[in-house]
Amino acid sequence: MELLVAIAIGTLTSSGVYLMLRQRSFPVILGLSLLSYAVNLFIFAAGRLAPDLPPIISKTALGYTDPLPQALVLTAIVISFGMTAVLVIMAIGAYLTSGADDVALTQAPTDEGQA
Amino acid sequence: MSLALIAALPFIGALVAALASRFGRTAATLAASACTATALAAILAYLPQVLAGTVVTTRFDWLPQLGLNAEFRLDGLGVLFAILILGIGLLIQLYARFYLDSSDPYGRFITFLMLFQGAMLGIVISDNILLLLVFWEMTSLSSFLLIGYWNHLAAGRQGARMALAITGGGGLAMIAGMLLLGQIAGSYTLSDILSQREVIQASPLYLPALLLILTGAFAKSAQFPFHFWLPHAMAAPTPVSAYLHSATMVKAGLFLMARLWPVLSGTEAWFLIVATTGLLTMAFAAKVALFKDDLKAILAYSTVSHLGLITFLFGLGTEAAALAAVFHILCHATFKAALFMVAGIVDHEAHTRDIRLLGGLRRVMPVTFVLATIATLSMAGVPLLNGFLSKEMMLEEAAHTAWLGNSWIVPAMATLAAMLSVGYALRFLVQGFLGTSRNDDSYSPHDPSWGLLASPALLAVLVVAIGLMPMTLAAWLVDSASAAVTGATPKAYIKLWHGLESPALYMSLLAFGGGFILLGSYDRLRALWEATPRPEAKALFDTSLNGLTRAARALTERMHDGDLARSFALAIVTMLVLAAYAFGSGSHVAGSRALTPVPLDVGAAWLVLALASLAATVMHHRRLLSLLLVGIIGLILSAGFAYLAAPDLALTQITVEVVTVVLMLLALNFLPATTPRETTALRKLRDGAVAVAAGLGTTLLAFALLTREAAFAPISAFHLAQSKPGAGGTNAVNTIIVDFRGFDTYGEIIVLGIAAILIFALVEGLLVTKWRIIPPATDPDAGDAHPVMLRVATRFILPIAMMVGTYLFLRGHNQPGGGFVAGLVFAIGLVMQYMASGIEWTSARRRYPYQTVIGAGVLIASATGIGSWIAGRPFLTSNYGYFHIPLVGEVELATAALFDLGVFLCVLGAVMLALDAIARLAKGAN
Amino acid sequence: MSNLIIAPIILPAVLAGLLVILRPSIGLQRVISGAGALALCVIAVMLAAQADTPRAYFLGNWPAPFGIALMSDRLSSLMLMLTAALGLLVLIHVASTGWDRSGKHFHTLFLFQLMGLNGAFLTADAFNLFVFFEVLLIASYGLMVHGGGRDRLRAGVQYVAFNLLGSSLFLIALATIYAVTGTLNMADLAVKLPELPAGDSALLRVAAVLVMMVFAIKAAMVPLQFWLPATYANAPAPVAALFAVMTKVGAYALIRFGTLVFPTDLAATGTLIQDLLQPAAIITMVIGAIGVLGSRELPRLVAFSALGSMGLLLIAVSAFTPQATAAALYYLIHSTLAMAALFLLSDLVPNRRDGLTAALFMAAAVAMAGMPPLSGFVGKLLIMDALRASAPLIWTLILLSSLLTMLGLARIGSGLFWKAEAPRPSDSIAPFAPVATALCLSALLALTLGAGPILTWLEATAQNLHAPAAYIAALSLGAGG
Repeated sequence: MELLVAIAIGTLTSSGVYLMLRQRSFPVILGLSLLSYAVNLFIFAAGRLAPDLPPIISKTALGYTDPLPQALVLTAIVISFGMTAVLVIMAIGAYLTSGADDVALTQAPTDEGQA
Repeated sequence: MSLALIAALPFIGALVAALASRFGRTAATLAASACTATALAAILAYLPQVLAGTVVTTRFDWLPQLGLNAEFRLDGLGVLFAILILGIGLLIQLYARFYLDSSDPYGRFITFLMLFQGAMLGIVISDNILLLLVFWEMTSLSSFLLIGYWNHLAAGRQGARMALAITGGGGLAMIAGMLLLGQIAGSYTLSDILSQREVIQASPLYLPALLLILTGAFAKSAQFPFHFWLPHAMAAPTPVSAYLHSATMVKAGLFLMARLWPVLSGTEAWFLIVATTGLLTMAFAAKVALFKDDLKAILAYSTVSHLGLITFLFGLGTEAAALAAVFHILCHATFKAALFMVAGIVDHEAHTRDIRLLGGLRRVMPVTFVLATIATLSMAGVPLLNGFLSKEMMLEEAAHTAWLGNSWIVPAMATLAAMLSVGYALRFLVQGFLGTSRNDDSYSPHDPSWGLLASPALLAVLVVAIGLMPMTLAAWLVDSASAAVTGATPKAYIKLWHGLESPALYMSLLAFGGGFILLGSYDRLRALWEATPRPEAKALFDTSLNGLTRAARALTERMHDGDLARSFALAIVTMLVLAAYAFGSGSHVAGSRALTPVPLDVGAAWLVLALASLAATVMHHRRLLSLLLVGIIGLILSAGFAYLAAPDLALTQITVEVVTVVLMLLALNFLPATTPRETTALRKLRDGAVAVAAGLGTTLLAFALLTREAAFAPISAFHLAQSKPGAGGTNAVNTIIVDFRGFDTYGEIIVLGIAAILIFALVEGLLVTKWRIIPPATDPDAGDAHPVMLRVATRFILPIAMMVGTYLFLRGHNQPGGGFVAGLVFAIGLVMQYMASGIEWTSARRRYPYQTVIGAGVLIASATGIGSWIAGRPFLTSNYGYFHIPLVGEVELATAALFDLGVFLCVLGAVMLALDAIARLAKGAN
Repeated sequence: MSNLIIAPIILPAVLAGLLVILRPSIGLQRVISGAGALALCVIAVMLAAQADTPRAYFLGNWPAPFGIALMSDRLSSLMLMLTAALGLLVLIHVASTGWDRSGKHFHTLFLFQLMGLNGAFLTADAFNLFVFFEVLLIASYGLMVHGGGRDRLRAGVQYVAFNLLGSSLFLIALATIYAVTGTLNMADLAVKLPELPAGDSALLRVAAVLVMMVFAIKAAMVPLQFWLPATYANAPAPVAALFAVMTKVGAYALIRFGTLVFPTDLAATGTLIQDLLQPAAIITMVIGAIGVLGSRELPRLVAFSALGSMGLLLIAVSAFTPQATAAALYYLIHSTLAMAALFLLSDLVPNRRDGLTAALFMAAAVAMAGMPPLSGFVGKLLIMDALRASAPLIWTLILLSSLLTMLGLARIGSGLFWKAEAPRPSDSIAPFAPVATALCLSALLALTLGAGPILTWLEATAQNLHAPAAYIAALSLGAGG
């Protein structure tokens, strides 16, 4: 299971990084989202895996998984949601005002963007 | 008067003059002159003491940790220079008052001039070499401003920048030199340094320090190969040239050589560098001066040559030479300042400084002519004038100097330089003032008013008087100054007549004979000069500076061309390489944690996740599809969290996922539906390699962490133990986020709130901006925008969503749930209504503006935290009790729940504000 | 436990919340955020006055390291003072030029920005530092695109995207730290890391490198500096001026982590951080200086001068000796104010090039190039003095960079004030616009004249940083509250 989780983190990272290296804003945003999935899973992994041991205190529990990384992931998810939302709107704004959705500043914005 | 106050006077003068300039030029001049005169008087008041051999010092701590203190000293050398700076300063102020046109911004001029004066005075009375550096660079800066004073002239701007580059740059080298010198001597105080000749010269750092300091000094005093800035500085108004570029600033380098002479001179290196540079500069610049046509250019090169002469004398390292050097500093300042002022008068009257267009001024400007004659002849070294005396002393020293075993080369060069000097001086006089006018007679030059004549006249009187009575008028000052340089008892005996056995006499005669021959055969020499190719220093400087600038521009624009992908790639590769290096250079023992088995369904889900992830990458050109794939990944992650004992995460992940996908779907209404295929195969390969490496890196790191235990007991043990008794909740994750680490959550909702406000502000801005693209897909009447079924369904879904949300909110502290998830569930309900019924319908029924909801959330969360202050506890200390609520069951009402309410409001408001903003954008598009 | 310590975080948040709800007129907004900034100045000075011994604040009354703790020590209070003072100056400029009218919610975002900065400077918890980084970042995104416009939005997208990568990296680093050590409190890490089993050192080194890289992104170190020129050059000028302290957050975090968590005498990491930081800092300085010489427009030039200045600062930081740290802190104050002054000037210059503006420009350029008599020179001397051991190379590069910066500033300055046609003066536009710039430069003058006593204070600060026992003790002693 540990290996699967590690590979899942790696796969999401790879996909995310590849998309981040694209030229257009939308795939870059998707890439950053995938990267944030990978990161959330990574933080979660910092608490190790303990299926069936949820951190809900009860007399019958056999043990608990580490609750702290979960709390950190919660914070991270929320923050990355906010950041993604901002980036999406900025990308829309950049596209609407410049007519191009390239993320690079190299290409001069063209008038005929494909809408 | 304290030396510190004297040093401050010119700066005060700058301020006062700037203020007084609104009352006219005379007022500004008077204000400045009053300060200068006061400073001069104060210096003169110290004269008896200094002549008696006392060194006057004063000191204030500034930055004692570094050794940079406001330490001042006044000795013979300082007095000589201070008198030059302030005395000539007064004359210049008078001259400038009449020289500058009424259309010139006079206040600025006099302010800059006084700033310069302060900086220059500071140099010569500093007793701390770091303080000296401060003043040193200030002279570069003020000279920059003064050269560029007539800023409508391109020559002025370029000359100013060149002067700054050379003298300021030299100053930078000197910073390093001074730091080294201070390090050797263990102090930056001059008085301490000057007593440590042996220590300094024995140090291995002596040579680097010497080279660096001399670079600064040579740059300032226009020694070869740094000489070329000075002629271009002549673009400055003539009073500036007379003051800075003949009498004072260019002598700062000489001053420094004199100041540090006791500890730096006397070595082989010193002699070879300083004397050779001086000699070379003296001869070379004199030659160039002979062939210049602009009066000021002739004078500029002549100045370079004379500075070379003085440098040469200091370089010899003997006491007699140092005395001669000091004396020539005084003599040169008098005749050269006078000459510059004369050149300025000619320019003023004849409207040209080109010697080829002048001539015959003797008749129309008799007074000017007399002054010019006195000063020029002194420059040439004609007997009975002060220039003769010091030149004779130089020749005398040169005659006895061997250079690397060769005993004739130095005297020969010195004689040659003297000969050239006679040549250009005679040409200045003969072609400028004698003969007939070669100018068209559109101007009728005549002697100017007393205001312009007074200053050069006074200097000319000094030239004659010192020439005739050197012992009475100058010897005491020179004695005291050279004593300060060499430390020897004053013994100067300035002779008008060195006797028939003196080689200087014959060298001098040779120089005069040669000078006349040079002038006689000028036309042929000129033709020869024109025919010889010679490197133009300015062109060289410009080419290299422009080349440097172009290279800098090319590099900068290439590097920072705004290619985000390359920045990302570089950053990621750097991270990977450094992480690999850090790992490889540490020691690693693999973890021993037992692996968890994989059930089949989990394995299958994992496979779907991996495939979806790959597919999203491969098919990213189809944006909608890749978005849906990302959504699927989010759902699987959510399921994975649920399986891996993280129910809160699962709930949050799935709700966030829904909202994110909705947001991105809405975004796709605006953005192009597909991504064009525009990258090369090579680029894809590169990106793929970076991506795979990054994936591999995180996989390895994650696996290493998953298979080991923390080195120390994790702090979460405390959270589990205290969740119920301490924080009053059984859901440890929730107690962490609302209590143990509630402050994180406080920050997190602030982030969300800011995000929403930002989006709101951004969209408001966009709505009033011109768009280059009008998104097509937002036509409200197109097709089945709001299907009836869906519309009806959502009116039922909303209340259900609200119930579920409330339930999740209330139980959050003990079971999975909480304010955040509840807020999202509410939001999803509202969002569906948006999507089904359209913005107008929903907006019309929206009771509170979402901004207010967010603000309220922030305030409630803050107020909950602050509430604990009342109980004398720190921010966010919780308090709780249990209550029974019908249908929901046992509910704990804690202050934490109030805090959670803040979270809930922030989340709800933020999500809704963001989506609302997009909707408004869509509306704006129509 | 004084609530004063948390006030720099809560006060701006509450004021911002009020602004969101009440949405008052622009005049009232100015009054509220101005009063806030002024209050923050006062609070920061009060904290600094008590900062001789570090003092802790336990949030939720949970003992460290289990809850989140704030720490007010000399360094924190110094950064708070700097932030508050700069904030006030920027506000004056914004109010006198009307920048806050060119978009919505300027003051809200501004206050949140201060909150984020203050939080980052105060927190003693590594993950909480991440949260405040995000607060200050997202507020900075808003401020950066304030006023909108094509170029600004496009640069904004890059700025946000690059920082999202940085945030991801931060989380990975923090997760690694937690997985290896089981703790997140910085002082707790300082206590525990010396006991770390040797077999964990490789993973800890990875975490150390990654977390320092996060700070290097904030501090715009090569090769992670690409975001800076476009961001600073395209941001509204007063926002860029405020951002002068944003890069300093990176420097602050490098100093804090480099002295507290990963000091050079820690067996597991040793001089790893130092060895990597120093060359990067040197290259940053050089690239900044080259950029200054190679820039065509003032805002971009100022951005590169900011980069070069960060390079010099980080050279001093990366030496990690008490003397160099004290020099770094002095230069940090200088660099922040000088950058801010130049950015504010870049806002004035298009509309007015009178004698006053020219004088201000001259002074700011002198400060930025590290020429006498202003504090840049003093700071440069202090840094060079502290780095004697590695003198030849570093000194040469520092001085050459100064020369390039000086040449670049002289060229653009003479072009603007001497060559170009002066814009027609119009009395109707913003008569008080130069006030903030002038105040900024006055602060630099004060920094220069008061260098002695200021450095004494900073030397004590550096001593505390390099001997963090009191910092650690403040957290454990107060445990249990």
